[in-house]
Amino acid sequence: MTAVPAELPRGREIAAVDDLDLAVRLLADTPTHEGRDPELLRRWARAADAFGSTLPAGPPPERVEERDDGLDRGLLARYRSRPVPTVELYTDTLAAAERLVRRYGWEHWYPPGSLRVAVLAHEAVHERLHHGPVRAEFRRALGHEVLRVGRLRRLGHVAGADEVAAHAHARRAAGLGRSPLLLTAALAAAVDHREK
Amino acid sequence: MGVVILLIMAVGVAAMLSRKLPTAFALVGMAVAIAFVAGASVTGEESVLDTVIQEGAPALASTMIAVLLGSWLGRLLDETGVASTIVRKIVEFGGDRPTVVALGVLGVSALIGTVTGSAPAAMMAGIIGIPAMIAVGIPKVTAAGTILMGIAVGVPFELPIWQFFSTALDIPVPQVRSFMVKLFPFALAAGVAYVLIESRRRGVEHTWSLRSGSGRPESRRKQLGDAPWYALLTPLVPLVLALGLEVAIIPSLLAGVLFGLVTTTRPREMNKRLLRTLYGGFQVAAPPIALFIAIGILLAAVQLPGAVTALEPLVKAISPQNPVAFVAVFTLLVPLCLYRGPLNVFGLGAGIAGVLIATQIYPAMAVLGLVASYNQVFGVSDPTSTQTVWSSQYAGVSPQQVMVRTLPYVWFVALGGFCVTAVTYL
Repeated sequence: MTAVPAELPRGREIAAVDDLDLAVRLLADTPTHEGRDPELLRRWARAADAFGSTLPAGPPPERVEERDDGLDRGLLARYRSRPVPTVELYTDTLAAAERLVRRYGWEHWYPPGSLRVAVLAHEAVHERLHHGPVRAEFRRALGHEVLRVGRLRRLGHVAGADEVAAHAHARRAAGLGRSPLLLTAALAAAVDHREK
Repeated sequence: MGVVILLIMAVGVAAMLSRKLPTAFALVGMAVAIAFVAGASVTGEESVLDTVIQEGAPALASTMIAVLLGSWLGRLLDETGVASTIVRKIVEFGGDRPTVVALGVLGVSALIGTVTGSAPAAMMAGIIGIPAMIAVGIPKVTAAGTILMGIAVGVPFELPIWQFFSTALDIPVPQVRSFMVKLFPFALAAGVAYVLIESRRRGVEHTWSLRSGSGRPESRRKQLGDAPWYALLTPLVPLVLALGLEVAIIPSLLAGVLFGLVTTTRPREMNKRLLRTLYGGFQVAAPPIALFIAIGILLAAVQLPGAVTALEPLVKAISPQNPVAFVAVFTLLVPLCLYRGPLNVFGLGAGIAGVLIATQIYPAMAVLGLVASYNQVFGVSDPTSTQTVWSSQYAGVSPQQVMVRTLPYVWFVALGGFCVTAVTYL
């Protein structure tokens, strides 16, 4: 399968969007944020990015399974907590991403071999946000107040913010020059282009 | 003669299963064939044209009106953002605990399921609910099943269904209500168990997917802000009136429409919104109304004296009378209401119910117990029912995956319904 076609769409155009704007886009596309003030989304994106960037490195995933049907399923990686916490790594998509990096000349942002590190770091954040004390810290960092009765204050969940934090953490852990969000968007555009 | 009628039914089921004929057309074809075999004349008293078609077609008219009003209210909940606001609030309050979010969406689906059923209910709860559940880590099959199980929790209180059973089985609405109230705890227990057990078994999952976000929500979605908190009570209005105050079904639904309208719409926009959502409701209600016309015709055919005389000995011979056998046999037959099978309540199952009533093999309330219990299975697990197909595909899984995952739970609901029926009405 040729994962990335010779005629690539929108490479420069996507690269011109900065990482924070890509994060805002991700939030805007996440259900429950329809009609939400773009400035509020930006504030949440910034907070999630800062949280992910400064999150100390955790233990590596207990179990990693490699699969080769990611392009068909539109997946780069998947974390599942049952039956045992596992990160599924889709090697065909990863290879396509590395080819795309070379073709766009983005090796200075995504050095060879760094993507695998980024993917594992990304999925490890999801695991920590689900099961650890990190979850409450993250909610406080976002500061989305959904209820206040006197001194009682209830902070709400911001759908999609965990994804932004995981990408920010992956960027730092793998020493990337740009967020994995950029590469995901470019890869998605290339796959869309191939399917058309 | 009875055997020939059963053969006609078998051919009709085969035509529906193989999708050679849409269900409504197959039911009408069966009705006409059964009427002729039962010795009905073409016109006159107990005839094909005058009795089966002319009187049968509008026999479920009150159900059709209730379905239309339910669809109207559903469109209003959708257009005014009431449904989406409830889902959004649930995700915000419980989002980092996926099980809490799933239980919340189950509750919203149940609430919507009391107003309207089928695909429109699934869409109202699922358009935001399914991706929101997936975003917080709930696996796709669990998410699709949660919407369907939630709707099934609401179905015992779905007013158009009460009207359907009341008219089709000739049972007063209060008696229908009394059975549905008994069926509800089983549906609720199964819905909650589904969420808790499946969440425990499947855990959470997060995907790094290749999606190219535009960052620009669709224009209509963008216009929808949060509905005011008091508007969120709209789905409860018909329920409180019909269940609590015993107001009739159609006025209860109309009151829901009015409450939803005045709590969400500026006075100068009310007329436009009322008409727009009413016409939208017609569109949504068209498929079930077509089905109810066909079911009315089939019921008229199987209740012809010739059909009753022909079918009575056959049906009597195979219908279990002992309460234990009644529960065991009908529980084993649960899969026959899947894939538009012969026990599908919105297909031949209605005809079989008509035969059981006309031949007086079981009391009408026992027949109600059977069809209402089977309806709980059909509405969730049938991979050909519109809500199951829509929810599965929207979540990105196959209807068969959802059927396999949900069937044990709804089978339990049916078993509960049969037990209540056997103990109470046999």
